[in-house]
Amino acid sequence: MSEHNIDELLELIWTQQEDGKDSLNELLRVTDEENAEDVLKRMAQDGFVVISGDKLTFTPTGEARAKEIIRRHRLAERLFTEAFKMEVDEKIEYNACEFEHILSPEVTESVCTFLGHPPTCPHGRPIPRGKCCEKFHKEMKPLVTPLNELQPGEEGRIVFIAPKNHTRLDRLSTMGIIPGSIVRLHQKRPSFVLEVGETTLALDGEIVKEIYVKRV
Amino acid sequence: MHDHGSHKEEEPKGIPRLALIGNPNVGKSVIFGYLTGKYVTVSNYPGTTVEITSARAHVNKKEYVVIDTPGVNSLLPMSEDERVTRDILLNEDIEAIIQGIDTKNLRRGLLITLQLAEIGIPFVIALNLFDEARSRGISVDAEKLSETIGTTAIPTVATLRKGMDQLLKALQNPRVSTFATHYDRRIEDGVVRITPLLPDARISKKSLALMLLAGDESLNNWLHEHLREQIIREIDNIRLEVQSSFSEPLAYVINHSRLMASDRLLKEVFSETGKREKDINSSLGRWSMHPVWGIPFLLAVLYGFYQFVGVFGAGTLVDFLEDSVFKGYVNPWAVKLFDYIPIMILRELFVGQYGIITMAITYAIAIVLPIVGTFFIAFGILEDSGYLPRLAVMVNNIFKAMGLNGKAVLPMVLGLGCDTMATLTARILETRKERIIVTLLLALGVPCSAQMGVVLGMLGGISFTATLVWLGVVVGVMLLVGYLASKVIPGTGSDFILELPPIRLPQLSNIGIKTMARIEWYLREAVPLFILGTLILFISDKLGLLALAEKIAAPLVVGFLGLPIKATEAFIIGFLRRDYGAAGLLVLARAGQLDSIQIVVSIVTITLFVPCIANFFMIIKEQGIKVALYITGFIFPFAFLVGGILNFVLRYYQVAL
Repeated sequence: MSEHNIDELLELIWTQQEDGKDSLNELLRVTDEENAEDVLKRMAQDGFVVISGDKLTFTPTGEARAKEIIRRHRLAERLFTEAFKMEVDEKIEYNACEFEHILSPEVTESVCTFLGHPPTCPHGRPIPRGKCCEKFHKEMKPLVTPLNELQPGEEGRIVFIAPKNHTRLDRLSTMGIIPGSIVRLHQKRPSFVLEVGETTLALDGEIVKEIYVKRV
Repeated sequence: MHDHGSHKEEEPKGIPRLALIGNPNVGKSVIFGYLTGKYVTVSNYPGTTVEITSARAHVNKKEYVVIDTPGVNSLLPMSEDERVTRDILLNEDIEAIIQGIDTKNLRRGLLITLQLAEIGIPFVIALNLFDEARSRGISVDAEKLSETIGTTAIPTVATLRKGMDQLLKALQNPRVSTFATHYDRRIEDGVVRITPLLPDARISKKSLALMLLAGDESLNNWLHEHLREQIIREIDNIRLEVQSSFSEPLAYVINHSRLMASDRLLKEVFSETGKREKDINSSLGRWSMHPVWGIPFLLAVLYGFYQFVGVFGAGTLVDFLEDSVFKGYVNPWAVKLFDYIPIMILRELFVGQYGIITMAITYAIAIVLPIVGTFFIAFGILEDSGYLPRLAVMVNNIFKAMGLNGKAVLPMVLGLGCDTMATLTARILETRKERIIVTLLLALGVPCSAQMGVVLGMLGGISFTATLVWLGVVVGVMLLVGYLASKVIPGTGSDFILELPPIRLPQLSNIGIKTMARIEWYLREAVPLFILGTLILFISDKLGLLALAEKIAAPLVVGFLGLPIKATEAFIIGFLRRDYGAAGLLVLARAGQLDSIQIVVSIVTITLFVPCIANFFMIIKEQGIKVALYITGFIFPFAFLVGGILNFVLRYYQVAL
């Protein structure tokens, strides 16, 4: 019995609740955890859940902890699919399960900001909001955005470029498009047009998406 | 655009060489013209001087061969153009280099400067377009730049010949730059390990080592010529070792260091004082690719084009040349001349129905030349103004659906002038797939100016609806075929990364020279074909082959397309020159032998019909006989199929045209 088991069960209870279920027996039926009953008993003792008959509910402490785990898990999934372009399959599920236990609160916030505070995971389930997201509503915009999300006329400093092939990277670099350069998005339609210094470039939207910038 | 006027000749060895190097659109060719007294094609479209121009000239009372190289962004070749330029430095005995820099774009120019410094050939810098930079509130401290780099930089405005004297003076004593870019320690280590393995070359070993580290595959041949297999492998191992300590490709790491170094230089010499003036040119540039205003802008350009080429060229000029000059003087004189020659066959050969003078020359000079000539003038203006790349921005998405990108707009627009020339220009596209698709579309649906002149003349005689039907069918068919071709033809498209040069007022002298070179090309290439075509017609007529071919094709032309038997002749000669075929139809229409539907069906068919013989030869030359046969084999039945369907639809629904 460990923290790990507790986290896994908290996560499962959360998703069950999202589906509108609160049955203890149902939960025991679907879980992969061994000794799930024992773990749940201990969780009740520690004040994470309340068990009354077949009904299983979170305490406020338990709910807060579950929310953090879910948030880390789903952000990790987003990170894999968006930044690393991994397919949505069992592999990312497995890796996300690993990630949810090791992400510190600071890193979680950075990941969330980096991804632009995504509202849902790749499977479409909501990602619980974090502190950084609240700030976002007030003043902060995501730190790093794909260049195509800038408004025409806005400027950004290039943070990194994640091209599909090296030739593209090389070619962009000879045009002055490298991390550190400041680009101005001139227009998005009918094609993307950028200004880098005194150079005006027309580019495919697909390439523009691979350039990540910080607004300046 | 290729400089068709210039001939490729080997310049004699032993004469020292001067090379002009720089980014695209920095005015290299204008400097070249100043040095050599010869003007070459200056064009705004990246990659349009694939062939190198060189000329012998006296510079500072010394004889040189001056070489104008294609525009480059780096000497690490990323394109054919860049490879050509790098190879010139590697293989030719260059005494000195003139680097042309667009002053306002100094940052990118410096990227090349640093590489030239590395290469170790003496050079001077022309800070060109200095006036344009100033009007944008930019100033560059040329003296400080010269001092830091250790070579001479001169502010110039080549088009106005400003600063050119100083540039010549600096050329008397060009210096090797003392500036060295600092790279990451791991890269420098790699360079130190590779240099002892390299043979002596015209460029420094350090620069070669860096090219090799960057994994420059275009050096492969050179390596195998100069080094043993074992050493090449050793170099490759060093490269792999160095690469393994970086997450990014080495080419990128090296470029990055260079850009950082040029940014530091830039801070010292480059200043932007105050705001840029909002000039009319940059506003035009913005409107011309605006998602909404770009369309009326395009229509206005097309209208201007039509007025100049269609109305003035194909109307006024053709009327004058054909009716007044040829029908009034040339042909009667020629006929009179042959009155003295009592040989019937000769008379018919020159001034008969299919006569060389009465048909071929009249055609080439009186009808096609004015149209092609005005087209080339209008095209030259578009090219030099910087509008074409902006047009590419407007149409990129449409072209993407056909497996192409916006860059393909250049050969397509040029095709409206001459498909043969445009087929040659398809070279600027990066992948074979793109080149084949463009070649196919040019051969299929883009009517050349001569043909278009005749076609529009016929359509104008019916109604606007007829014009729309023709345009709709041709454009629709091209989109469809392009889309299908992009699915069927193997290979990939290429990235759309296109530099947009500033909108500039074209220089009349430059357009004049370009137009003359193109007209010369037309006269040399097309007129002989006109004569050949007429000869074939003449002989076929005499041998009765024409009648035979008409008989064979009759069921198709009469039955399927619903056209009179006489139209067959137009299709047969249409293979020699497409406009020639269209003109045959025009004669029929004028004689009242075609009704409205027949006119539309026949011109749709002849527009889509097989390319002319010159274009066919050009396809063979550029893409190989197999592709040429495939393309023709597809187009021939396809054009008739579309014409037949159109005939059926128009008749079935009894469309009023």
